[in-house]
Amino acid sequence: MKKSSLLFLAGVIIVLALGFLMPWLLRNPFYFFAGYVVLQYVTIATGWNILGGYAGYINFGAAGFFGAGVYLSAFLFTTFGLPLPLCILASGVFGAILGVLMGYLTLRIQGVYFAIATLGLVVVLETIVHNISGLGGASGMAVYGPRPPAWSPGPSQFNFTVMLVIAVASVALARWVEISWIGRGLRAVRASEDAAECSGVPTLRLKLVACALSGAVLAAAGAPYPFYTSFVEPVTAFSLVIGLNAIAMPLIGGTRTWVGPVIGALLLASVQQIATVTISSELNILFVGAVLIAFVAFAPGGISDLFGRNKGRARS
Amino acid sequence: MKTRRQFHKLVAATAAGLAAPAILGSKVFAQDKPIRVGASVSLTGPLASTKNGLIGYELWRDDVNAAGGLLGRKVELVMYDDQSSAANVPAIYSKLVDVDACDVLFSPYGANLSAPVMPFIKQRDLFMIGMFGLAGNDVAKHDKFFHSGPWGPNSGRDWARGFFDLAKAQGVKKIAIINADLEFSKNAAKGGAEVAKEYGMEIVFNQSYPPNTSDFSSMIRNINAGDPEAIFIASYPADSTAIIRGVKEIGISDKVKIFGGAMIGPQYGALLSSLGPELNGLVNSHTFVPEPSMQTPAIKGFFDRYTPIAVKQGVDPLGYYIPPFYYVAGQLAAAAIIGSKSVDPAKMAAFLHANSVDTIAGKIAFNEIGDWKERRVLMVQLRGIKGNDLEQFRNPGHQVILDPPSLKTGDLAGPYNKARAS
Repeated sequence: MKKSSLLFLAGVIIVLALGFLMPWLLRNPFYFFAGYVVLQYVTIATGWNILGGYAGYINFGAAGFFGAGVYLSAFLFTTFGLPLPLCILASGVFGAILGVLMGYLTLRIQGVYFAIATLGLVVVLETIVHNISGLGGASGMAVYGPRPPAWSPGPSQFNFTVMLVIAVASVALARWVEISWIGRGLRAVRASEDAAECSGVPTLRLKLVACALSGAVLAAAGAPYPFYTSFVEPVTAFSLVIGLNAIAMPLIGGTRTWVGPVIGALLLASVQQIATVTISSELNILFVGAVLIAFVAFAPGGISDLFGRNKGRARS
Repeated sequence: MKTRRQFHKLVAATAAGLAAPAILGSKVFAQDKPIRVGASVSLTGPLASTKNGLIGYELWRDDVNAAGGLLGRKVELVMYDDQSSAANVPAIYSKLVDVDACDVLFSPYGANLSAPVMPFIKQRDLFMIGMFGLAGNDVAKHDKFFHSGPWGPNSGRDWARGFFDLAKAQGVKKIAIINADLEFSKNAAKGGAEVAKEYGMEIVFNQSYPPNTSDFSSMIRNINAGDPEAIFIASYPADSTAIIRGVKEIGISDKVKIFGGAMIGPQYGALLSSLGPELNGLVNSHTFVPEPSMQTPAIKGFFDRYTPIAVKQGVDPLGYYIPPFYYVAGQLAAAAIIGSKSVDPAKMAAFLHANSVDTIAGKIAFNEIGDWKERRVLMVQLRGIKGNDLEQFRNPGHQVILDPPSLKTGDLAGPYNKARAS
C-alpha cells in the first residue's frame, strides 16, 4: 500500500473513532443536529464531484438523487420495517440505477444542455412523488425512526454517527475513483472528450460509471434524512438549495481532488449552520452567492488548488 | 494551635465568601432571568408571507413586559428564520432547547414545518403552542401541545365542514371539488370529499391540479359540464386569483349556489385589493373578520397597534388571518405560566387542559391532544365590494359570517352568479 493510502486509512480510523466517541464527550445534542447537516453536505458534495468535478459534467440534478434516497428509505422503513443499514444500501443501489438511466438518456448531450436535462430529473421525480399517495403526496410522510442503539446516547447522536460513516465511505469511494483507472479516464474526458475517445478511452462507459457512483452517493446521503427530520415532504426533499450547495461546495473547495468537496462542504455548511442561528438566512444565502462569485472570479480551482499552488511555489 | 484555628477560620470564611454569590446569587439570578420563548418563523422562502405573525409575538411580549412580566420575570423572544424549509427545523429547535434554554416553545408555521418538531418535543416532553398546523398533533398525540389556531377537533377532516353545512342547508345534491396538489389544499379537499359523502352529496367532479397552474379555463368548462350545485375549491394565492379570473371569463352555471371553501389568498390584503369586486359572492374560510359578532375592544386594540407596524414593515396591512393567533399563542403560554405558577411543562399543560383561557380571539378550551374543543373556523361571504380600496375591508358587511352559527352575521346570498353580480 502506498504511503498516501496508509495516511488516508489512518485519517479515516481517527475520524471514525472521534465520531463514535464524540457523542459521549459532547453532551449538547444541538452540535449533533448541526453536525449532521454538515456531514450530509460533505457526502452530497463528494457525490456530485465524481461526475461534476472528475468528468466535468455539471449536474443540476443532485436534489433528484437525494430526494429519491430520502423517499426510498422512508418508504422501506415505514412499509417493511427495514433496518437503517439496509435502507441506506437500497437507496445507494437505487441511486446508482437512476444514475445509469439518467446518464444513458442525457450523456450524449454536453454543457448547458446536459445541465438542463439533469435539472429536469428533479422536477420529474418531485412531480411523481407529489402524485403517489403511498408516499404521502404533497402532504408528506411522518417517519418515526428506530430507537437508537445502546452505544449511542440519543437519536440525534445516532443520526450523526450514521451520517459520519456514510460521509467517510463516500470520501473513500471518491478517493478510490480519483486514483484508479476510472479517475484517469474521467480526467481525460474532462480535458477533451474527443481526444480521449480517439485515444481509446471508453468515454460513454466511464461516464455511465461516474453517473452510477455519483447517483449512489447522493441517494445514500438522503437515506438517513427521514430519521433526522422524522418527516419527509417533496418540496424540501427535492429542494433546489441542495442542488445549489452540491455545486457551490466543490467549486469553492476545488473539483480536481477528493479533498476539495470536503473542504468546501465543511466550510460552507458550517458557516450556513452558524449563520442560520446567528445572523439571518438572507445574509446566509447572500454569503453563499458572494463566496461562489469570488471563487469563480479569483480562484477557479478552489481552495485546494490555491493551497496546492502556494505549496508548489514554496517548493520551487 | 491558635494559628491553626485561625487558619481554619480563615479557610471557612474564604470558602463561605466564595460560595456566597453562588448560593445566594443563583436564587436571585433564577428569579431575574427572563422567561425565554423560542420559535422558528418563516421570514424567507415560500412561506414568508406568514412572517407578519412575528408582529403578534412582539406585541404580546411588549404587553406582558409592560405589565411586569410573568411571575415577576421579563419575557424574551428567541426567534430564528427556518427559511420555510423543514430541513432546518430540527437543528433550530435543538438550539432553542439545548443552547438557548427556552422555557416555552412555539411551533413553526403550518403542518409541514411543524411535523419535524413533534417527535422532538414528545421525546423531550416539552411544552409547545402549535401555529396553524392542521391536525398537527393527531399522530404524535403529545399531551403538552396546544393549538393556537381555531381548527377544532378532528381538523384533518372537519375544519372546512362549515362550507358543507351551508351547502346542505341549501339542498345541494351535486358538488364539484378541485384542489392544488399541495399539502394544505390536498388535505382540505380530501376532508371535504369525506364530509360531502357523509351528507349524501354526489361528487360530480374531483380533480387536483399542479401547483403552478395558471389557466383554469378547461377545468371550469369541465366543472360546468358536471352541472354541480356547489363548488369547493382548495387553492393557494396564485391559483385562487387565476380561478376567480377564469370564472369571470368563462362563466359558471346558474345552478351553483355556493362557491369557494378553502381558497388561500382572499384572506390577505394584497389579494382582496387586487381582485376587489371580482370576489363578490365568494364563500371562503377565515379565522377573523371585523364583523360585530367578533369585534371586541381587545382585538380592536390589537389591530390598532398592528396596522402601523405592518405598514412600516411592508407586510399585510389587514393581518386578519395569522397575526391575532400569534398573539393568542403568547396569551396561552402566559395563562399556563401564571396559572401553574411555574414554567414546568407538565404543570403548564395540566393547567391548560383543566382551564379555559380568555384571549383576544375569545375563550379557548382544549381537548386531550390540544385541539380547541370547539371548531371556530369561519365561513364568510364577500359582499358589496366596490373598487379596490383596501380600507373597505376594515368595515363590517363586506365579509359576512355565515358559519359557525354562534358568530353568524348574515345569511348566504345566492345563487353564486347573482351574488357575484351584486
